[in-house]
Amino acid sequence: MRRTYAVAEAALREMARRRVVLAILLLLPLAFYLSRRGDHLGQSIRFVCLGLGWALSTAALFSGSAGRAIEPRLRLSGYSGRHLVGGRLLALWTIGLLLSTPYFLLVRFDQHDVRYGAIALIMALTVAVSAPFGLALSAILPRELEGTLVLLVVVGLQMMVDPADTAARALPYWFTREIGTYAIDHTDRGYLDRGLLHGVLAALVLTAVVTVAWRVRQGPRSHLEFVPLR
Amino acid sequence: MDADRRAQWLRGVLDLCVLGLLDSGESYGYELAQALGDAGLGQIRGGTLYPVLLRLQRAGLVTTRWHGGDTGPARKYYRLSAAGRAALTQASADWSAFTGSVRTTLRQEER
Amino acid sequence: MTDDAWLAALTGELRRHQVGPDLTAHVVAETAAHLRDSGEPAVRAFGTPREYAAAVADSVGGPDPSRAARPVGPVRLEVRGVTKRYRRRPVLTGVDLTVRAGQVAAVVGANGAGKSTFLRVCAGLTRPDRGTVRVYGRLGYCPQDGGTSEFLFPDEHFALVGAGRGLSRPDARREGRAYAAALDWTPPRSTQARHLSGGTRQKLNLVLARLGAPDVLLLDEPYQGFDRGTYLDFWHEVWRWRDAGTAIVVVTHLLNQLDRVDQVLDLTRAEAAA
Repeated sequence: MRRTYAVAEAALREMARRRVVLAILLLLPLAFYLSRRGDHLGQSIRFVCLGLGWALSTAALFSGSAGRAIEPRLRLSGYSGRHLVGGRLLALWTIGLLLSTPYFLLVRFDQHDVRYGAIALIMALTVAVSAPFGLALSAILPRELEGTLVLLVVVGLQMMVDPADTAARALPYWFTREIGTYAIDHTDRGYLDRGLLHGVLAALVLTAVVTVAWRVRQGPRSHLEFVPLR
Repeated sequence: MDADRRAQWLRGVLDLCVLGLLDSGESYGYELAQALGDAGLGQIRGGTLYPVLLRLQRAGLVTTRWHGGDTGPARKYYRLSAAGRAALTQASADWSAFTGSVRTTLRQEER
Repeated sequence: MTDDAWLAALTGELRRHQVGPDLTAHVVAETAAHLRDSGEPAVRAFGTPREYAAAVADSVGGPDPSRAARPVGPVRLEVRGVTKRYRRRPVLTGVDLTVRAGQVAAVVGANGAGKSTFLRVCAGLTRPDRGTVRVYGRLGYCPQDGGTSEFLFPDEHFALVGAGRGLSRPDARREGRAYAAALDWTPPRSTQARHLSGGTRQKLNLVLARLGAPDVLLLDEPYQGFDRGTYLDFWHEVWRWRDAGTAIVVVTHLLNQLDRVDQVLDLTRAEAAA
C-alpha cells in the first residue's frame, strides 16, 4: 500500500501545483450551474453534474499525461501497474470528492423539493467514473489536445442526445440524467436503479480499460527476465 | 640563445637546479623562481616550477613547512633533506660527466 | 578571469583530478602566495586552471588508472541475439552483450544506429523482434530525456522513486542529495523539475537512476547539457560505481573515454553487417 500512497501523494502534489488549471476546473461547473439557474432549476442540477464530470475527467486526463514521462522509470523502480494506476485513481477520487462537496452544498441550500441523497449519489458516481475516464483517454490518445477534444464531444453529446435513446446509454454520464430525473422530478425507483447500475458499470468498465490500456502502452516484456540476487 | 632550446634543456635539469639553490638555504617558490632567473636560466613560470617542487617533496628530497609572514600571506618553505643533499651530490657529478661528454662531442667538429 | 575566480576554478579542477582536500588547499594557498608576490596574472604564471591542475595531479601521481588488479564479479547483464526492425529497416541485428559486476560497457555508433533502442530493450521498455535479456538483481535506467515529473520538486522525486526501491523518505532524500553533491549539485528545495535547466534536469535524472544502488545501471547519454566540469564529475562517478561492483552500460559518442571502459559495443558495425 505504501507504494500506492506514494504515487497518490505525488499525483496530488502535481495537481495542486497547476493552480490555474485547478481554478478553471473548480469554476467550470459553477458556470454550468448558473447558465440554467434562471429558467430551469432542475436543469441546472443536471448541468452542474455534467460540468463536474467534465472538469474531473479533464483533470484526470492532464494528470495521466503528466505521469507519462516518469512512469517507465517508476515501473523499473519497483512499482507495478496496480500501484501506478491505483495511486493515481486514488488521488483523482480524492480531488473529485473535494471538488464536488461545495457543489453538493450549493444544491443543498439553493434548491428545494429535490432528493438530496440521490444528488449526492450522482456526484459520487460522477467522481468514480470521471477519474478512470480521463485516465483511459490519456492512456489511449497520444496527446492532451486529442483527449480534451474527445471529452468535449462526449459531454456535448451527453447534453444533446435524448436519454431515452438506447444508444445514449453508451455514454459514460448517462446515469446523471437518469438519477437526476429521479431526484428532481420524483419519478419511480426504476430511474434510480437503472442509473446506479449504469454508473457502477461505467466506473468498472473504464477502470478495466485504463488497466488494459496501461499494460498495452507499457508493452509486454517477455524478452526480459529478472533474476533476483538477494 | 634560442628560447625553445633553453626551455628544453632546462626541463631536464630544473629539479637539480632547484636542489642546488636549496643547498644554500631554505626558500619558497617565488624566491626560487627569481633566483633561477637571476642565474640566467630565463623566466620560470609558476606552472612549471611548483609541479617540480611537488615531485621533489613526493620523492622525499625536500621537506616543507608553512610559515606565516608578518605582512604577507603564509608561504610554503622548502628545505633540502638529507636524501636531497645526497641526490644533489650524485646528480652534480653525473651532470659534470654528462656535460663533459657533450663538450667533447661538440669539439670534435672543430678539429 | 580574476585571480580569485582562477583560484576557485583551480580548486574545482584539482578535486576533479582526485587530488585530496589537504593537498588541494596547500596547492591553492601556495599558488595564491606566488601570485601576490609576483603580481603576475594567474593565466600567464600558471596557464589555465585545467592545465595547472593536470600538471599537479601528474606530479603527485594522479588517480590510479590501472585496473589490472581489479576483481571482476559475476554476470549481471546478459543480452543474447537481440534483433529489432523499425518498419523494414533493421536497427539491431543479433546483438550480444555480457556485462559483469564491476565492468563498464560503452555502446557507440552513429546517429540512428540503435543505441537508445538497445538500451530500451535492455530496460524492457521496447520489445525486440528476437532475442532475450537477463538482468541479475535490480536495474537502474537513465533515459536521454524525460524520466522526471514536471511539477515535482527534486526531493519529491527522490521520495517517490525511493519508495519504489523500499527506501524511507528521509533515507531517499539523504541518498539523493549525496549523489547530487557528487555531481556538484545542491538540489533546490522548492523548484519544480520543469523550471530546472536542461543540464540540471539530467543530473536529477542520473541521481534517480542511481537511487537505491541498483546492480545494473543503463545510462543513455546522460550528460547532455552538462558543462565540462560536471562531465568529468559524471565519469568519476561512473568509475566509482563500477569499483563498487555495479555493472554499467553507457551510451556515448565521445570516444575519449573509451580507453577506460572494459568493453565497447559498436552498433554501427552491426548495422553495416546487416
